[in-house]
Amino acid sequence: MRRKILKSLNKTFNSEPQFSEQSNANDIELKKQDISRHYAQNIETFKSIFSIPKNIDVKVREFTIRSLNLRAFIIYIGTMVDTDQVQRSIVKPLIENEQPSRKIQDIVSFPVGKTIINIGEITENITRGITALFVDGDHQCYVFETTKIEGRGIEKSDNEVIVKGAKEAFNEKLADNIALIRKKIKNENLIVEAHVITKRSRNDVLIVYEKDLVNDELLQKIKNRLASIDTDSILDLSILEQYLEERPRSLFPTLLNTERPDRAASFLEEGHIVLLMSNSPNCIVLPATFWALFHSPEDHYLRTPYGNFIRFLRFLALFISLFASSFYIAITNYHVGMIPPDLLMAMAGTRERVPFPSIIEILMMEIAFELIREAGLRVPSPIGPTIGIVGALILGQAAVQANIISPIVIIVIALSGLSSFIISDTSMNFAIRISRFLIIFAAGFLGIYGVAALSIVGLFYLVSLKSFGTPYFAPMTPHFFSGKDLLIRHVPMKASFRPGYLKTKDMVKQRKD
Amino acid sequence: MNQQPGKLGIREYVSMVILMVGLKATEDTPAALYNMVQNAAWMIPILSAGIFFIPLFLLIKTMSLYQEKNLFFVIQKLFGKYIGFFVCLLIFIISSFGLSFDSRTYTNIIRVYYFKTTPVLLLYALLMTVCAYGAKKGIKHIGSVAYLLIFSIILSLFVVFGLSTQDSNIQAVFPFWGTGRLEILKSSAQRLSLFVEFFMLTMLVPFFTSSKDFRKGTWIAYIYVSIQISAATLFFICLLDHSLGEMGYPFHTAIRYISLGSYIPNIEIVFFILWVMASFIRFTVFLYINALMFGETFHIKDFEFLIPSLATIYLLIGSIPETPLQVGIELKPFIATTAGLLFTAVSIIVWLTALLKGEFKHAKNKNNI
Repeated sequence: MRRKILKSLNKTFNSEPQFSEQSNANDIELKKQDISRHYAQNIETFKSIFSIPKNIDVKVREFTIRSLNLRAFIIYIGTMVDTDQVQRSIVKPLIENEQPSRKIQDIVSFPVGKTIINIGEITENITRGITALFVDGDHQCYVFETTKIEGRGIEKSDNEVIVKGAKEAFNEKLADNIALIRKKIKNENLIVEAHVITKRSRNDVLIVYEKDLVNDELLQKIKNRLASIDTDSILDLSILEQYLEERPRSLFPTLLNTERPDRAASFLEEGHIVLLMSNSPNCIVLPATFWALFHSPEDHYLRTPYGNFIRFLRFLALFISLFASSFYIAITNYHVGMIPPDLLMAMAGTRERVPFPSIIEILMMEIAFELIREAGLRVPSPIGPTIGIVGALILGQAAVQANIISPIVIIVIALSGLSSFIISDTSMNFAIRISRFLIIFAAGFLGIYGVAALSIVGLFYLVSLKSFGTPYFAPMTPHFFSGKDLLIRHVPMKASFRPGYLKTKDMVKQRKD
Repeated sequence: MNQQPGKLGIREYVSMVILMVGLKATEDTPAALYNMVQNAAWMIPILSAGIFFIPLFLLIKTMSLYQEKNLFFVIQKLFGKYIGFFVCLLIFIISSFGLSFDSRTYTNIIRVYYFKTTPVLLLYALLMTVCAYGAKKGIKHIGSVAYLLIFSIILSLFVVFGLSTQDSNIQAVFPFWGTGRLEILKSSAQRLSLFVEFFMLTMLVPFFTSSKDFRKGTWIAYIYVSIQISAATLFFICLLDHSLGEMGYPFHTAIRYISLGSYIPNIEIVFFILWVMASFIRFTVFLYINALMFGETFHIKDFEFLIPSLATIYLLIGSIPETPLQVGIELKPFIATTAGLLFTAVSIIVWLTALLKGEFKHAKNKNNI
């Protein structure tokens, strides 16, 4: 009832403004038609669709096919195709071939992709970098896969740095990205499916999975979700990520975004699904749990004790970065008795001349730290290192000397700030950093009791999060069978189960005979 | 192997129960036990567990006749529409008062030991708000949180016990029989209220994949909890000896007493964090079960929407007593004793009714067919 009233109120106040829009019904109608047999009409149609000659990089070349003695033209986007190849293997044979042959396929040396008759479909293909050949009197159009788009080569992973293990990262070229995964999983069951998700820009998403592992229900769910996206254009995978998430406003991420193909491959082997998109140097792994976001590939590349050691460090870092500042506030404001007397005297001595309450001190430094961090990211690289020095010097040393901050606060902030770098996943990192501020306020409000209350509320919230039906803390709670790779990991020989929450077709990795 | 969505797992259930009942070792229970039978107080939890085992066993046996049905359904089915309704209502009211005064006790602990100048109402309201939020998330999520925390909480409890042995005196357990054997037995019978939560937990049966999980989980938790309360009492007796009787909340005195060497003299805050988190979970479960009872009594299907209003009512009832002493000495023992007796009686009567009505025979015949 209340919801209904709110909804109707919302409607009256936030009505969509009226625009005077131009109708493109004619264009849509045109695209539904098939091409004609008449040469002149075809050339007219496509010239109007692609606004030639206004559009400078769309090329049309008219010529006569010598052997058939027919007029023909090709149309392509010059910046997206391999012009050299078009010239060498399509145009040249058509013009020069003298052998009487009836079929285009026999004349050109470039393999004919397919033949299309629908105008809209041809247009779509041309925009993708394909060359289309129209022959006078022929009711179909021949298309050639001549796409060649320039881009960056395969480079080292920048954001997920590891010491041991593969270094290469995804780049913006889809073909490269698939190849990077394929070369790690040499199996015919690895499926790469393409789905066009937007209407205007026609961005396509590749769904990668292993056919004999993936849970069909989950796959269908993801496909349905992709199909339900109704928008003009999604340019990047990171934007698609926001469309896919169940709670886009939530503080905590529920999808894993990684730029490492080895990581993607290891998730594929477990039965997860990976999404790739052209122009995005990363991939989405779904469903993702807290553990997937918390782990790093290095945990597995290092020997078991070392891997567990860094995992333990990361767990500690998680706690320090979340609670160090708030613990300091709570202790100094509410539970002073906890500090050993000598230390208490020392702290009181340094705080004596600081005019601010400790929560203001902490907040000032936290914000300063976040500023340095953000500035360090954005400055042009030649002056980058200077920012660090300036930040550390001015904000640390000078603030203490000016009696704005007490020295112990610097220690606390440095510790919590450094620790937050250890959580390598970008989204998780943000989640931790933002929740830290909430916890600081809770500590200022009610000391440890406030911190405990907020933490438990946070835990209630976290366990109720879901990523495509998978609870956030699965397989720990609710319990599922798994490789027991949660807080600590076993030796690789022991991790013989795929995660139970995925309900894969094959649960056991190496069955003992 | 595969867990159905929306169902409670045995791990989550056991950790929830351990937090809910086991936490009694950290409030005023050990002191109250000491006042009854002096140095033999640690025997009472085990003995009461033994006595309460009979009604609980009978109840669970009766419940197993009705697969995937909760306690109130069974009561209403066996006692008929009208009597059943009144029994359910009575149970709901008693447990409501229990929740109110219990949560007030915990608020008192927080205020007396850690936040001396903060108004009770603020601490209390925060407690109830958090619990209402958690309870609204549903029993499965409460269980998950309980499972995430259970290990650290149990570990911290044992660290407290371990550290307390530095200054404790094992001689304090003598005289072994305290005020006398008969007295111990009598007090154990009076202290059935220690385990009444198990009676209420039978409300949760429909949330399990199988009632076998429920039974197994209940017995594991039952045994563990009785040992834990008894052990806690024993450690407090050894640490505090005679002064235990005059103390309100021995656990909190103990964590203030112990220290990590001479460098860090006060570590109570570390334990307080885990303890207060455990209490949040305890009252969240409590609140959820009460809302479930209310929904079941008045046939309200979406009972989860009632949780905030119920929490407010409990907050108001819990705010009525003016002093912690009034809660600890007058109201809580009264409610506890009533609840202990009533719930035990209901368990046995439910079983008797089922027996007289021949439900067990029906079930047997059904199985044979």
